Amino acid sequence: MIIDFHTHLDESWIGNKLMPEQTFLDLMNRYEVEVACIFTLEGFYGNCSMHNDNLAERARRNPQRLVPFATVNPKLGDQAVNELERCLANPLFRGVKFHTWLQAIAPSMVKETMIKLLKCAAKHNVPVIFHDGTPPYATTFQIAALARWVPAAKIILGHSGLSDYIVAAGQLAGELDNLYLCLTGPKSGEIKFLADTAGVDKMVFGSDLGFSDWRMLPECIDYVLQSGLHPQSISKIFYSNAVDLLDLKRRPL
Amino acid sequence: MLIDSHAMLGKENHHSLEERELIRRMDLHKVDKAIVRPMGSELIVENKLGNNRVLANGSRLLALVSVNPWFGDSALDELKRCYDSGAVGLFLHPARQGFFPVEPIAIPVLELAFSFRWPVMFHTGTYIYSDLLAVGEVARAYPDQLIIAGFGGYADMWFELPDLFDEVENLYLDTSLLFSHNVISVISKIGSSRILFGSGEPRNNYAVHFEALKRHSLSKETISAIMGDNAKRIFNIK
Ligand SMILES: [Zn+2]
Repeated sequence: MIIDFHTHLDESWIGNKLMPEQTFLDLMNRYEVEVACIFTLEGFYGNCSMHNDNLAERARRNPQRLVPFATVNPKLGDQAVNELERCLANPLFRGVKFHTWLQAIAPSMVKETMIKLLKCAAKHNVPVIFHDGTPPYATTFQIAALARWVPAAKIILGHSGLSDYIVAAGQLAGELDNLYLCLTGPKSGEIKFLADTAGVDKMVFGSDLGFSDWRMLPECIDYVLQSGLHPQSISKIFYSNAVDLLDLKRRPL
Repeated sequence: MLIDSHAMLGKENHHSLEERELIRRMDLHKVDKAIVRPMGSELIVENKLGNNRVLANGSRLLALVSVNPWFGDSALDELKRCYDSGAVGLFLHPARQGFFPVEPIAIPVLELAFSFRWPVMFHTGTYIYSDLLAVGEVARAYPDQLIIAGFGGYADMWFELPDLFDEVENLYLDTSLLFSHNVISVISKIGSSRILFGSGEPRNNYAVHFEALKRHSLSKETISAIMGDNAKRIFNIK
């Protein structure tokens, strides 16, 4: 059984139609994904509230399976904080997603607002996942800095360093108690390193399902299965670490 | 013949692979031959050690040797030695070896490799120094030579792949780190004649690649081109 911590469920992206909701759910069934954390894509470019409402609507139809993460535009200052408060007041939302590359802002350029947003997430006890691994707005170091700014917030590197920042991701997640790794991107030979360096308890599974071709899901599953980790570690990555991060024992879906 | 066009031997950070272990993995997955290149210090500074490591392995492992272009004349001498010892191509890692693909420092090394009729594989995907499009410029500058985009620009240059390969007809794609649908996006545009299956061992993994291949319904011809025929042709494998 799997909890997929990194997916996108949206209508379209830059003019291209994305995977329909039913196809998304069928794929979850086929690959034994019990729960998917769903993010926007189009909402990274604007009109966050509408996209947050769309995510909530999808979750309302499948509350046991789809867990929406809210996205806000940190360039809007307190307006963004208010929008995040609005979303997190809705018990369907269980996390926050930023993509500072696509949202076109380095966290340090809006530091005051970012700190308010992370404190808001911490107050609601929900994790905050970021795209990482891409300069100049979303390097793994830039995202890890956020974990230092607000130690009470749970920050997740959405791609665990993606490709060139893998070593840094392992080191930083090992060093910072509130920094976690989502395995969307690292290959089999890197996952063992991340576990050895950051600790397997810091790792959750993610596939980017819905963003592109459906085969990303089974390929990401295979990266973990072929990593050489102990089956018990693999089941933590696929499931129980995500249960803890989402606090599902205290707040079941 | 099943040929892996990109595996790595030696040690670099957490990655480590010895010849015998690679052969064991090849046997397990029925891979006939692998094109192997050095990594870590043996790729960046101790080229002779790395080249000896990849040259020493008989007929199943073929050597994609490397020299750091900043070593100047001694780099050229080392390449000549590798040619005499049976290497099949040159691997360059601009980000790790510290040069920009279009800088003049790389030209003597490139032109010597081309004089041997060797394909040249560049590491691509690391922003700035290993920019996929900069390697595309090298290919445009030498239209009669074979240039391979190692790692296919992984991670986030996938959106450049189809058009770049459509425009630059002497550029080949190494699949070793890519998600399979990104490879298919290039095949859909240019066909399969310039696609090289690479495992990326020990970073990536044969089992993941072969499972991924089964999820696509590629023709027999496409599969045999990607999985061996193209490599056989460009690396001149008997
Ligand atoms: Zn994503």
